[in-house]
Amino acid sequence: MKYRSLFLKIFFCFWLAAAAMIGTLNLMLWFSFAQDPNPERRRGALGEALNLYAESAVQVYDSEGPQAFEQYVNRSLKEAGTEIELFDGDGKALTTPTAAEAASVAAEIKGTNQHVSHVTALGRITWGRPVTAPSGRVYIFVTRLRQPYVFRGLPPLGIALSILAAGVISYLLALYLTSPVKKLKSVVQSFAEGNLEARVAPQLGSRHDELADLGREFDHMAERIAALISSQKRLLADISHELRSPLARLTVALELARKSTTGKGEAALDRIEMESERVNALVGQLLALTRLESGAERVPPQMIALEELLEEVIDDANYEAKPLHKDVKVLQLAPCRVRGSSELLRSGIENVIRNAIRYTAEGTAIEVSLTTRLDNAVITVRDHGPGVPESELQHIFEPFYRVGEARERSSGGVGLGLSIADRTIKLHGGTIRAENVNGGLLITIGLPLTTAPATAHPVAERMPVA
Amino acid sequence: MVPVLLIDDDTELSKLLEEYLQSEQFDLHAAHDGPGGLEKALANHYSAVILDVMLPGMSGLDVLKQLRQKSAVPVLMLTARGSELDRILGLELGADDYLPKPFNPRELVARLRAILRRASTGGTTAATQPVHLAGVDLHPDSRSVTCNGKPIALTGAEFDLLYSFLRSPGKIISREDLTQAALGRPMSPMDRSIDVHVSNLRRKLGPYDGEQERIKAIRGSGYVYLLPGEQQ
Repeated sequence: MKYRSLFLKIFFCFWLAAAAMIGTLNLMLWFSFAQDPNPERRRGALGEALNLYAESAVQVYDSEGPQAFEQYVNRSLKEAGTEIELFDGDGKALTTPTAAEAASVAAEIKGTNQHVSHVTALGRITWGRPVTAPSGRVYIFVTRLRQPYVFRGLPPLGIALSILAAGVISYLLALYLTSPVKKLKSVVQSFAEGNLEARVAPQLGSRHDELADLGREFDHMAERIAALISSQKRLLADISHELRSPLARLTVALELARKSTTGKGEAALDRIEMESERVNALVGQLLALTRLESGAERVPPQMIALEELLEEVIDDANYEAKPLHKDVKVLQLAPCRVRGSSELLRSGIENVIRNAIRYTAEGTAIEVSLTTRLDNAVITVRDHGPGVPESELQHIFEPFYRVGEARERSSGGVGLGLSIADRTIKLHGGTIRAENVNGGLLITIGLPLTTAPATAHPVAERMPVA
Repeated sequence: MVPVLLIDDDTELSKLLEEYLQSEQFDLHAAHDGPGGLEKALANHYSAVILDVMLPGMSGLDVLKQLRQKSAVPVLMLTARGSELDRILGLELGADDYLPKPFNPRELVARLRAILRRASTGGTTAATQPVHLAGVDLHPDSRSVTCNGKPIALTGAEFDLLYSFLRSPGKIISREDLTQAALGRPMSPMDRSIDVHVSNLRRKLGPYDGEQERIKAIRGSGYVYLLPGEQQ
């Protein structure tokens, strides 16, 4: 689930970043207030200003009369948005209009020497105090002003809620960013599995970002690859047809010639037949090799019972070996499940065993075994032949490579069998190697085992390989 | 002279084969495309049809499919070597045998004779007693088979295969013997057509009630026809 992990990465990174920001901000605010050594001082400064304000307002009323006071009140309302109300010592309003709060504050103050402040909704403060004018008269001064707003950080519940909200946003963001990646991935996967028609565009909708561009680029690439593969396949089929049609005619013509030839001509005709069969085999193997190397051949995820497949190949090989006074012996057959194409694997293994039959000495047996080692199925094929010089061991899987000039033609075969085996095994994610053992060549094939799910039935279809 | 139809787009090959088969007592007629070949095969009474898979106009497999709807004439299919799918499909669609191209004409004659022999002896098998076994009724006279009362359409090879199985149920029959019985020729190396015929037959008959397969492969030996409840 690589997509999931990308999703989780984006999700958690964004969430963590958002949570860290919320936390840091609140911490900073908290610290800036916690560090203020005297929170009362700020309030004190405001109180001092209000005291002065109250005294000067009272002085205006007391010495200059209600009219001057009215002007003073209007000016301060206009300039600072501050409402002022004045009451006499008994709490009777001296100005109009009177807000209910102001009156109740005045009533509270009446007869005391305390200042009173009430904070109402919307952050308004109603503040009042008794003031004694220089004339000796007592007034109650009440003002209504806007409290300066100070953000002191969120409460714990607020922090939790905002982190939660950040989580939801991060989740949606991660989903938005990774969903096209997921779609792209499924298309690429389907393409890799051989569905050459797979395209991203229909899944993208109206998206027009870099990811959508990537998808479109993939589609261009897929288009080209599909065209290349189909032309390659067509070419292979054409070559096969064009080379084999004359061969087919040749074999019929040869038999016709045979009917009207006697004596000396027969040997030459035999030779022609043998050579045309050789060309035919060569064409077949070349095509098989080209197909393997071109990538036109793909491995289906078919479950194969390797021991059954091997047994069938050995049966067939014995059929061929017996007339040559050679034998194919089974040492061990462990049950093994591998994934791949039974047809391709059969031809790959068959080529190795046929090669062994070709080189093993007359009257000897080829020994084949199938065991498991760690996560691999291991097939060994050992012959009792001349072996291969150490220096040439690494080359025997190359096309047309032949060991020793002398054995060239007499051994039969066209020198492609081991190359086909090599490409087939590698296509299945396996390994193949050759080594000399006492009096013979040992070829070891490793194929990755698959752990069979309980429901899957192993497939060992009997499929011929021409 | 035995009349045989060859459907192959290679006209030169057709001429050569005509000449060759003439000397083997076959009267070869040729058609060079799918629709023409199908028309000829249905209009005339041939003893056998040799059908190339690669045909212009209409693939050999389509020709075979349409031919089989109306005719049971023995069909020998020519496939491209290495094209397993064509061969398996061909045998599944009811071809009697196949030969990879390019082929040796002697082999072609041998295969032709084998399917002709089977087609001719099929109708007049000596032991014509019907066989009844575990729901399957086989009538050698009419070459018809019913399974649980339902008629089953079998090709010639599949019929002979089933006949072999029903005559010795519960016994292992080797692939060599089955090839000889069903295809009328010895098994050749790397030849797996018998397996395709067996798997077709198994599919057409279907399993017994308890999901038990009727025909079981015995590794390295051959096949066995099981009776209900029998475990092998």
